Amino acid sequence: MAASRAGSAGLGRWLNAPWLRPFGMLALLILAWDLAIRIFDVQPYLVPKPLDVVLAFRSDGPLLLREAVPTTIATLGGFALSALFGIPTAMLIAGSRTVESYIYPLLVFSQSIPKVAIAPLFVVWFGFGIAPKIITAFLLGFFPVVVAGVQGFKALDTDMRDLARSMKCSRWQAFTMVSLPNALPAIFSGLKVSVTLAVVGAVVGEFVGSNSGIGFVLQRSIGNFELPTMFAALVLLALIGVVLFWIVDLAERLLLPWHASQRHVFVATT
Amino acid sequence: MDRRQVIAAAVTGLVTAPALIRSAHATDKVQLLLNWYLYGEHAPFFLGKKLGLFEKEGIDVTIMEGRGSGVTLQAVGAKSTQFGYADMSAVIRAGIRGAPVVSTGVLLQKNPASAMGFADKNIRTANDLKGKTVATTPGDALSQVWPAFLRKANLRDSDVRLLQGDAQTKLNAVISGQADVLLGFSHDQSMKLKDATGKAVFPIMFSDYGLNAVATGIIAHRDTLTGSPDLVRRFMRAATLSAEAAEKAPAAAADAMLEADSKAGKKDTLTEGFEISTKLYRVTPDQRPFHTNPAAVKDTVELLVEYGGLDPAARERLASFFTTDFLPGKATN
Repeated sequence: MAASRAGSAGLGRWLNAPWLRPFGMLALLILAWDLAIRIFDVQPYLVPKPLDVVLAFRSDGPLLLREAVPTTIATLGGFALSALFGIPTAMLIAGSRTVESYIYPLLVFSQSIPKVAIAPLFVVWFGFGIAPKIITAFLLGFFPVVVAGVQGFKALDTDMRDLARSMKCSRWQAFTMVSLPNALPAIFSGLKVSVTLAVVGAVVGEFVGSNSGIGFVLQRSIGNFELPTMFAALVLLALIGVVLFWIVDLAERLLLPWHASQRHVFVATT
Repeated sequence: MDRRQVIAAAVTGLVTAPALIRSAHATDKVQLLLNWYLYGEHAPFFLGKKLGLFEKEGIDVTIMEGRGSGVTLQAVGAKSTQFGYADMSAVIRAGIRGAPVVSTGVLLQKNPASAMGFADKNIRTANDLKGKTVATTPGDALSQVWPAFLRKANLRDSDVRLLQGDAQTKLNAVISGQADVLLGFSHDQSMKLKDATGKAVFPIMFSDYGLNAVATGIIAHRDTLTGSPDLVRRFMRAATLSAEAAEKAPAAAADAMLEADSKAGKKDTLTEGFEISTKLYRVTPDQRPFHTNPAAVKDTVELLVEYGGLDPAARERLASFFTTDFLPGKATN
């Protein structure tokens, strides 16, 4: 009796595991997708059946994985540039009202320019290689890092700042030991948004001019009405975004174990 | 009755009579979604609308620019628009996957696909393409027939270097010299290149190498054909008369287009582009515009099966892709 109760409790805990829940949600969504197609009699040239997408993974899997490489490289390149330029820019804007008043409004203005409209120019200037894709990924991923970074740097508690000054902190010490750690949680939230946008940017660059990449596969499969392949490519893109997001999240957990957002609530009951 | 009452009655009668007559044939408001942004080939529809040829058939047509034959086809399939103007290869590829869309009349019976570059580059034959860079868009109508062209012209994939990009990138690539030629319709991109640079463009026509695929024409949903056959007949009659009128007056057709949208292009190149497209209207001299040649559709399917990866089952479903039942009678001109 006790053994079976313990066994069922173990199974219950396993089924309730947090990492399993997204898969459960996904399974539910796939079921809803399949039902919707059956109930509304949606034609395969408009939306493919989930099973067809799975089969497309089987038949085009090697091609999709191969084409995922240039897209991922472009994403990482753009993301790295976003972080490299975004964080110092945020520092400058947060640190100086003059800089803020000159640069910040222009930055916001530039955000509304659709990158898909100027991407063809990058192809003319930089060719059909990976450079224009990295640039479009950077242009999409830059703004979230700056906005979050500015927020983080500006949110420094004045008491903390005064305490540091009263202890005769050098400017460098005040930055590395007080300002930056205080801004890191906000910066990381900006980085998480940025990495998912960088994926979009890389694909936009590929749509415009590329011989390879998931964007290229998408274009070709849309034109040929190969919708299962198209959806499989979309799923793969989403997975790339999820994996990169998770990596940034992992980095955050390692670098900021002390932050309130990293606290885990332990359920003490069975 | 005194004179004033008689006059009042007469005026009322004159004013209401047209409305009464018109209400007997209520005007059908329809949308025609084109295959792409405006270019010379679309001129007949604008001239027809301007001359009232659609109105005479009781049709109030709104002509809208499209974003590719595939998108237009999906819009017609989803009944977001009653009529579309799209490439036959899209109709066949989607039809084989169950799209309930049918071609009611093909306008370009000869294929306008070409590899075009600036005339001063002297790339005039398929052989001249060896070692050159070709700009193309993956998945578009041109890319569907490119493999067929390579085989028929005795070229291998390795003979050319491909640069893939979207429509704007293709044009930019040729203008900036990143590519020697681009794949495009002989009357479309050639005019855009001419507009941008003033330089003449030479298209290597795929049809010169035995590529007999038909191209663009009017499409409609199967339900429209069964539910409103009279509307379809009237629309095709108006379209046919519009094309015939435009052939006789190309400059006027270009004018009609520019009146509808002043950004449609430049008058000279729109006229030139349209005139080039009219040369593709017929396989036999007495063929009226839109009168689809069944043999040409058969050739199109053969081409797509042999070189385009199309399911061979399409050969048996030829009749499901097009119909000539809604076209007007024999030639009157």
